Amino acid sequence: MATSGNSWPNSQDDYELMEVIGVGATAVVHAAFCRPRGEKCAIKRINLEKWNTSMDELLKEIQAMSSCNHENVVTYYTSFVVKEELWLVLRLLEGGSLLDIIKHKMRISNCKHGVFDEATIATVLKEVLKGLEYFHQNGQIHRDIKAGNILLGDDGTVQIADFGVSAWLATGRDLSRQKVRHTFVGTPCWMAPEVMEQNHGYDFKADIWSFGITAIEMATGTAPYHKYPPMKVLMLTLQNDPPTLDTGAEEKDQYKAYGKTFRKMISECLQKDPTKRPSAPELLKHSFFKKAKDRKYLVQTLVSNGPSMETRVHKASKRQPGASGRLHRMETGEWVWESDDEEDEDDDAARDRPMNTLARADSSDSEGEELGEGRAGFTIGSLTGGEAPQIDLVLRMRNSKRELNDIRFEFSAGKDSADGIATELVGAGLVEARDAACIARHLQRLVDARLFPGSAPPPRSLTFRLDSADPAAPSDESTLLGFAQISVVD
Amino acid sequence: MPLFGKSQKSPAELVRSLKDAVTALERGDKKAEKAQEDVSKNLVLIKNMLYGTSDAEPQTDIIVAQLAQEMYNTNLLLLLIQNLNRIDFEGKKDVAQVFNNVLRRQIGTRSPTVEYICTKPEILFTLMSGYEHQEIASNCGTMLRECARYEALAKIMLYSDDFYNFFRYVEVSTFDIASDAFSTFKELLTRHKILCAEFLEANYDKVFSHYQRLLNSENYVTRRQSLKLLGELLLDRHNFSIMTRYITNPDNLKLMMNMLKEKSRNIQFEAFHVFKVFVANPNKPKPILDILLRNQDKLVDFLTKFHTDRSEDEQFNDEKAYLIKQIKELKPSEH
Repeated sequence: MATSGNSWPNSQDDYELMEVIGVGATAVVHAAFCRPRGEKCAIKRINLEKWNTSMDELLKEIQAMSSCNHENVVTYYTSFVVKEELWLVLRLLEGGSLLDIIKHKMRISNCKHGVFDEATIATVLKEVLKGLEYFHQNGQIHRDIKAGNILLGDDGTVQIADFGVSAWLATGRDLSRQKVRHTFVGTPCWMAPEVMEQNHGYDFKADIWSFGITAIEMATGTAPYHKYPPMKVLMLTLQNDPPTLDTGAEEKDQYKAYGKTFRKMISECLQKDPTKRPSAPELLKHSFFKKAKDRKYLVQTLVSNGPSMETRVHKASKRQPGASGRLHRMETGEWVWESDDEEDEDDDAARDRPMNTLARADSSDSEGEELGEGRAGFTIGSLTGGEAPQIDLVLRMRNSKRELNDIRFEFSAGKDSADGIATELVGAGLVEARDAACIARHLQRLVDARLFPGSAPPPRSLTFRLDSADPAAPSDESTLLGFAQISVVD
Repeated sequence: MPLFGKSQKSPAELVRSLKDAVTALERGDKKAEKAQEDVSKNLVLIKNMLYGTSDAEPQTDIIVAQLAQEMYNTNLLLLLIQNLNRIDFEGKKDVAQVFNNVLRRQIGTRSPTVEYICTKPEILFTLMSGYEHQEIASNCGTMLRECARYEALAKIMLYSDDFYNFFRYVEVSTFDIASDAFSTFKELLTRHKILCAEFLEANYDKVFSHYQRLLNSENYVTRRQSLKLLGELLLDRHNFSIMTRYITNPDNLKLMMNMLKEKSRNIQFEAFHVFKVFVANPNKPKPILDILLRNQDKLVDFLTKFHTDRSEDEQFNDEKAYLIKQIKELKPSEH
């Protein structure tokens, strides 16, 4: 509109789509060429017809991106609608993710004693820290820092990507009132203990923990507990001393090539007490980062040895199910592992994940509306004030252990949408993603019937089959096996 | 208070420095670069005063009150907003943060900044026109939604001519700006129920003739979002009389029947929830009845095959069955 010169066009015709560099459940990422500018870019095409939740979620991710202007944070150019798709135009980072490069290097060379030298690690991590510093200053927590979310450009540029789960700690609305969040998002191997515990909320320091795990990942090729199932990772993280470079070692002295300063930097990040961890600006002053070199160095050590784009695309199609996903704690206090999507999820492809996991968070005070709808993850409701008629509801269903759970929440007419609530339930890990649609539909029916009384008396409760129900397993409506029930509470 | 280095500026000094810097920036003479720096620096100082930093708590209420008072006296907020496009990227975000913090300020139950803006509605109109400019649209949106939380300010916006510009803003080609505008638009139309209902009743024709264009938009997102919001508006009991009026207009029924047949299943489904209101209306006016009668068989056939894969969705199926039954039983009116 008003700006010309540096703006990116919003017309499909101005872009030439090239090879696919990532595939997700609702999105495909292409390399592309912008004709009027004569420049390459990446285009993330999101199929909105498959996007059943509120468009607000999408907007939040895009706003998180567009409010950043920093060389170490993924560069957003523009976005526009093409038929039933949303096209996000982003900077193309040809080198792929750091994880792609790690895996490639481990395939083509012997990395038993370490994947990268300290100078490479320091150079990359210093850039990541600068990005994190900016991010945190901007009032955001990334919540999913890991090698899979760090991208490299041909020129050695390092950028933090995937805002899918990033949270606004203070959304440019009130920095003073919100210091901590209470949501549980991230990938377990990289997840800070306080995020797992969920008792006190967490803040920017959760990213510093993940950063420390990423440092280990760059040296050893994997996160310390990568061999274990998510529940076990949780237990190990909470019960054991913080991991070190040697946690995943098979032999003594396997990683002896790495020096004290590096180890010290890692252990400072991986302190269980978040207040003891350094902030991003403090960490930048750590002597380990004196080893950092420049971009050219990264071009030599990382980019030129990295996998070709074709290899990455090919790899993206054979990922292990369950390798990545989200761990959530239930209202009852127990934890549930939720794989994002069996088909399209793995660390490799994390940056291509459909942007459907921007979790809701509870604010630490009662000003829930500061953070969008701002309902608590668990007991939704009680934060909305005002005049809207409210309906108290309870969703009764079995958890993964087949125990019956009641999830109580409020629905404020005009403020809430059934889809929005269903999304939150998914975001809070209380229901499976594939049940969101059927829950939303039944919630909508129940609420509509009350807000707009028709000829028949509105039903008090609806029982319906869950989409996640295993068709082979026994199901029973009366005992809610494979079924769920939404009821109005007086 | 500072232990060393420069002594801290008083609120009055800060506001004056910022104002001078913005004025210089506005003039755009050769000192502009220096002015740009001064603007950014002073904005950060004011932001830190209001929000505190990692090392310092926010300033006391007295200091903040002085700061706010100085801002009102010098019309600094308006000046900042008018020159927002000239301020650098981070500075724009700082303006929004400062603005929103000052806006939320309360003395007992009073909101002095809200009262101030009521006397300076130009601030609101300048913010609304921010959607015309890509580089400041989302910053203005952040401030506008904060304003919309206050009924007095929402009322000024709703009842202004500028409100109708939203029908254009929500359709601009850049998705994040259009969506930002849409969320502000929705906030204005739904946040304060009674105000909204009164507004919609008083301006029914104008609003809905504009709204019609959104429903017919070329842009899929605009169509889907506006249809969903329409459903929400009509089914909100505060808007009962608006709904009644809406469902007596045969053009609206025709539009919904067309949308039921759209390619997009999401749009079909949203349209169903508006369409059902026309059929469920016990007092259908003749033109509505005529359309339904004319299409009686086709509608029954269509609905029978409509979204049959939602078999587990009882309520939807109940409603669908109810609609089919209603339509089957329709008879020409006696008079």
